[in-house]
Amino acid sequence: MKIVVAIKQVPDRDEPVRIDSAGKWIDESDLQFAMNEPDAHALEEALLLKEKSGDDGSEVIVLSAGPERVATTLREALAKGADRALHILADDLASRDALGVAQLLAAAIRPEKPDLVLTGLQSEDLGQGQTGVILAELLGLPHSTLILHVDKIASGIEVKRELEEGWYQTIQLPTPAVLTIQSGGNKLRYATLMGIKRAKNKELRAIAAAGLVSTAPPTVVLEKLSLPQRKKSTQMLEGTPKQAAAALVEKLRTEARAL
Amino acid sequence: MNNVLVVLEQRAGRIARIGWEALTAGVQLSGAGSLTVAVLGTDTEAQATEAATRTSGKIVRVEHALLAAYTPDGYTAALEQIIQSESPTHVVFPHTYQVRDYVPALAARFGTVLIGDVIAIESGPVFTRQLMQGRLNGNYRHSGKGPCFLSVQAGAFAAAAQAEGAASISSFTPVIDAAQIRTRPSEPFRAEAQTVDLGSAQTIVGVGRGIKSADNLPLIEELAAALGAELAASRPICDAGWLPMERQVGSSGQTVAPRLYIAAGISGAIQHTVGMKGSQCIVAINKDPDAPIFEVADYGIVGDLLEVVPALTEAVKAAKQ
Amino acid sequence: MNFAFPSLAEPQHFSLAEKLLFSTLALASVLLFWRRFGVVLGKILHSKKDPGFHLAPILPRIRDFVWEVALQAKVIRQRPAAGLAHAFVFWAFCAFVLVTLNHCAAVFGLGFLSPDGYLGRAYFLFAALFALACAVGILGLFVRRFFLRPKWLGEKLSWESGFIALLIFALMATYLAAFFTADASPSTRALWWLHTLALFVFLPILPYTKHLHLVLSPFTVFFSRGGFSRIPPLVGDEDFGLVAGDSLTQIVSLQAYSCVECGRCTEHCPANNTSKLLNPKQVVLGLRDYLNDLGPASTEPLLGKYNAQQAVFECTTCGACEFQCPVGIEHLPILIGLRRGAVNTGTWEDDHGGQLFLNLERGSNALGISPSERDKFIQRQQLPIFDGTQEYCLWLGCMGSYDPKGREIVADLARVMRHLGITFGVLRKEKCTGDPARRLGNDLVFQQLAEANLEAMAKNKVKKIVAICPHCVRTIQEDWKEFGAPPIIEHHSEFLARHLHQLQPAQNQEKIVFHDPCYLGRYRNIYDEPRAVASLAGTIVEAPRSHERSFCCGAGGGLAFLGEESGERIGQVRAAELAATGAEIVGTACPFCNSMFRDAFAADSAAPQLLDIAQIAARALPVREPGNGGV
Repeated sequence: MKIVVAIKQVPDRDEPVRIDSAGKWIDESDLQFAMNEPDAHALEEALLLKEKSGDDGSEVIVLSAGPERVATTLREALAKGADRALHILADDLASRDALGVAQLLAAAIRPEKPDLVLTGLQSEDLGQGQTGVILAELLGLPHSTLILHVDKIASGIEVKRELEEGWYQTIQLPTPAVLTIQSGGNKLRYATLMGIKRAKNKELRAIAAAGLVSTAPPTVVLEKLSLPQRKKSTQMLEGTPKQAAAALVEKLRTEARAL
Repeated sequence: MNNVLVVLEQRAGRIARIGWEALTAGVQLSGAGSLTVAVLGTDTEAQATEAATRTSGKIVRVEHALLAAYTPDGYTAALEQIIQSESPTHVVFPHTYQVRDYVPALAARFGTVLIGDVIAIESGPVFTRQLMQGRLNGNYRHSGKGPCFLSVQAGAFAAAAQAEGAASISSFTPVIDAAQIRTRPSEPFRAEAQTVDLGSAQTIVGVGRGIKSADNLPLIEELAAALGAELAASRPICDAGWLPMERQVGSSGQTVAPRLYIAAGISGAIQHTVGMKGSQCIVAINKDPDAPIFEVADYGIVGDLLEVVPALTEAVKAAKQ
Repeated sequence: MNFAFPSLAEPQHFSLAEKLLFSTLALASVLLFWRRFGVVLGKILHSKKDPGFHLAPILPRIRDFVWEVALQAKVIRQRPAAGLAHAFVFWAFCAFVLVTLNHCAAVFGLGFLSPDGYLGRAYFLFAALFALACAVGILGLFVRRFFLRPKWLGEKLSWESGFIALLIFALMATYLAAFFTADASPSTRALWWLHTLALFVFLPILPYTKHLHLVLSPFTVFFSRGGFSRIPPLVGDEDFGLVAGDSLTQIVSLQAYSCVECGRCTEHCPANNTSKLLNPKQVVLGLRDYLNDLGPASTEPLLGKYNAQQAVFECTTCGACEFQCPVGIEHLPILIGLRRGAVNTGTWEDDHGGQLFLNLERGSNALGISPSERDKFIQRQQLPIFDGTQEYCLWLGCMGSYDPKGREIVADLARVMRHLGITFGVLRKEKCTGDPARRLGNDLVFQQLAEANLEAMAKNKVKKIVAICPHCVRTIQEDWKEFGAPPIIEHHSEFLARHLHQLQPAQNQEKIVFHDPCYLGRYRNIYDEPRAVASLAGTIVEAPRSHERSFCCGAGGGLAFLGEESGERIGQVRAAELAATGAEIVGTACPFCNSMFRDAFAADSAAPQLLDIAQIAARALPVREPGNGGV
C-alpha cells in the first residue's frame, strides 16, 4: 500500500502568540515550530497500516508545503518511520487560501498515484479542517473525515468515523481514497535515536512551488488579526452559594457555552 | 442585494438546534435581500413543516432516494445543483461534523473556500473566526464571483425565533446516479458500554479531599447526574477507596479533556492538574482562595463544597428545564 | 634463639614419585583453571571497548584500590560482622601468597622461607594468625549462609559456596595443624598433601563459581568507570546502548563476571523492598548468564530471556546498589544502558513514558504544562530576569516552575537570597534539564535538551547556578558535560549552609528528621550541609536508614512521570519510616521527595509537617517582603 501523509508545521501550541506589525499574521520570530498534532496521528495511522501489512512493499511518504524550516518536521516524520519525504518549498503560503494550498499538494501527490492520502483533521494554527476534503475533490477521490481507525479490506478500506455526542460510524470506501484523521485514535510513538540515525539515509526531495501550479488569486482573504476581548483569567463568582451557583450556570450557558 | 441560502441539518428526525442558529445568521446576512432555507433527505416533509414555523421565506425540499443516509458524494451533488439553480450570493451552514465532511469539497467545486466556524458577522460582510485554538480572532472577507460559503459556530448566534406568516415550500429533485456515491456508511452506533469512560465524557465532575468523607459523595453524584457528567477523583480519594481507581484523573491516572470540568474540593496539586488542564472550561470550587486550582480555572467559587454543590445542582436543574 | 611458639613442620624431602605427582597435579590444576578462565577472559576481552574510558587520573584509582580492595573498607563498613569475617579471609589469602609459593617451591627443594630462620619463622607465625582468623571467619560465614540464611543471599542454598568454604577451612586447618606436628612425622606429610590437594582442587573450581572474584575483583575495582553512575557516551550511528551481546563492553562484561552474589545491592533496593520485580543482583547475573550462554557477539536482545524489561524500568536510579557493591560493579550504567537499548530502538512501549518523551520532544518541560504558566509565576513573585549582571542564575527546573510546592520552595529561596543581599535572576525560558530522559535512556531527547540549554546559558552569560532540585544539579553538572561545558552549579543546601551564620533559628524548636535525597547524598556526597540548615528548625533526629543508606522516595529514574507503581508504594514506605521517628517536621531538600511525601501524608491528619530546607531557612525572615504571598 502506498500512503501519502500530508503534514503541516505549525507554531508550537504552548507558545504565546503575538500579532505582527502588519496585523495580518503572527510574529514568527522567536517561535518554536512543531508537527501539527492531528497530522502526527495521521502519520501514526499510516505507519501502523504499513506495519500491519508486513513486508509487501508498503511505503509511507510524507509531504509538506512551506518555507525552509518545514524540513525539520519532515525529518522528524522520517525518523518516526516514514520512508521518504517531499517538501514543497513555498514562502508565501499565507497569501494562498485553503484551495490554493490544496492545489499545490494535489500537484505533488498526483504523480505518486498513492492508494491512500491521509491528513490530520485540522491544523492547530488556522484550524479550518478543509485541506483533506478539498484534496479529495481535486484528486477526484472518495473521502471521509474525523477518522479514528483504518483497516484494509478486500474492497478497499473500512474506517471508524467519529460522530457528535459519543456516536460512531463505520464506512467502507474503495481505494484510492483520502481520509482526515482525528487525534486520539491511536497512540503517538516517540522519536527514537535509532529512527533519527536511520532517517539520515532517507530521501527528502524539495520541489519549488512555482513550478507546480499557477496560482489564481484567493477568493477568501484573512484581513486582520485581533485579540479576543475575553481574557483568560479566572472569573471568581461571589455571593451566597445560591447566588454564585446561579451566576455560574448563567456563565456556563452563555459565555463558555459548556452546558 | 444578498440572496442567502441556509442549509439546515436534522438530528434524530428533528432540525438540529444549531440549524436554527444558522438561520439567524442567514437572516442577518440577507438583510433586505432574499432568504431560502433548504432541507435534504429522502422524505423531508417533517423537516419542512418544522422549518416553516421559524421562517416565512422560501423553503426548498431537496429530495432524492440516494439522500436517505448522509454521504459526502450525495449531499455535494445535490447542493451543487440547488446552488446552480438558486444562484445564492451566500450559502450558510451550521458548523457540524457533517458540514465539515463535505462543504469544503462543495466550495472547491465553485472555486472557493468555506469560511468555517464563524463566530460573528459584521457589515461588509466581514466574517470573524477563531485561530490558534481560540487565542486569536481573524476577520475574513470573500471576493470573486461565485457564492460565499460559511458555517457558523454553535452558540455564536441565537436560535431563530418562531415566525409568523406562511412560508412557501417547493421541491427540488437533484439528478444523482448510484455510481456517484462512493462511500458506504453503516448505521451509527455507540461505543461498547464500559464501566468508566472518562476519556470520551463531555462533562466531568472531579472530587478531591475537600469532600471530607465518603458520606458526602451523594451530593457530588447528584450534581454529576444533573449535568449528565462522569465522576472523577483526585488520587487521595481513590487511595482511600471512596471511588474506584479507574476514576482517578492525574499523572498516575487518566488524562481527560472534556468540554467542562468541575473541580470540587480539589486543591490543584500538579499531580492532578496535569490530568485535566486540557479541559475546555474549568470550574473550581474550593474553600481556600489560595488553592492552586484557581490558577487553571476559568470560573471559581470560594466556598464550602457542602453548600455550593447542592446549590449548583439546583441551578443546573433549573436551567435544563 | 629459641621461641616458645610452635613452628611450622614441613616434610624435609620429597621423593621423585612425589615430585612427579605434584607436577602432574599442578599442571592439571592450572590447565583446568585456564580451560574455564581462558573462556571467561576471552568473553571479556572480546567485548566492545569502552568509549570514553580513561585510565588517568591514576591516583584516584590507586586510592580506591587500596581502600576498597586492600583495606576491605566497603566490605566491612556496610556489613560489619560478615564484612570483617570476609576481610580476614581475604587478608589471609594475601598473607598466604608467599606461603603457597614457598609450599610449591619446597617440593623441588627451592623453598625460600625456612621455618628455622628468623624471617621464615616470623612470617609463618604471622600467616598463622591470619589463618586462625580466616578459619574462624569462614566458619562463621558458613553458619550464616546455611543456618541463618539471610534473605538477600537467595532462596536456594548454594552447595558450591559450602564446598568452597570447606576447601578454605581445609587449607587453613592443614596449615595450622602443621604447627603441632614434627617435620619427620608422617602426619606432617599427610597434612602437606591434604593442603596441596585442597589447593589444586580450589584453583580449577574458581572460574566456574562466583569465587572468580578472587581473580577479577581487584581489576574490576581498579578499572571502574570512576565517579558515580557514570553513563558512557554513545559512539557512532549504530550505538544505542545495551541492546544485545554485541553492545556489551569490556567493563560491563568484567563486572558481570565479578559478581559475588552477596546480595547487598538487592538488600537495599527500594523497588525490591516493595515487592517489585527488579532485583539488581539478578540483573548482573542475568548478563553473566547471557555471556555464558550466548557470548559477547550475539545479537539476541539482552532484555528477554535473561532479564525482564519490566524489571529494568522499575529502577528509581537511587544508586543504593552501586553504592553498596564491594567488588566495584556499577549497576547504574548497566540499568540505564539496558533502558537505552530499549528506548533508543523504540522497543519500550509505555503510555506514560511515551507521553513524557512527546512532551520533552516539543522541547519544553516534563509536565507538559504551557510555559506561559511559568511566566505568570515569575511575574507574580517578581523574580528578576537573569541578564548577566547578577551573581547567580536561579534555576527553577520543572518542579520549581510548575509544581505548587516546588514554587513555594523557590519563592522562599528567593526571599532568603534577597535577605542576604545576593543578586540573582531567573532565565526567561527554561527547558527541562533532561534528567528523566537521561535516566530512562532516551538519548535523542536528552541530547536535544542538553544542547539547547547549554546554548541558552552561554548566550545569557550564565556563570554560576543555584538550584533547588538535586536532579537538575546532577544533570547539569555531570550529564551535560557530554555536550559542552556547563556553568558551575550548586544545590541550595550548599548555598544556604555557607550563609548559615546569617540565618535565624526558629523561635519554636522542634524535632526534625532530614531525608537524604538520593541525588544529593549518594550521588553528590552532601549530607552535612542540609542538616546544618535543617537544624535551624530544632533538633535533628535520624531515620533508621539515613545518609548513604537513605531509602529512596520513589520518584527518581523518571518514575515520577510513569504513573502508578505496582505493589507497595516506595514513597509511602519511606514516609512511614520518617514519621515513625516521632519527629514533628520532615525536612527535605528535593522537590520530588517533597511531592512524594506530600502524597503519602495526604490522607493522614496526624502526619508531621513537611518542609524543604529553603522553607526552614525562610521561616525566620520578616513576613512582608516583595513578591511574597501566593504562588
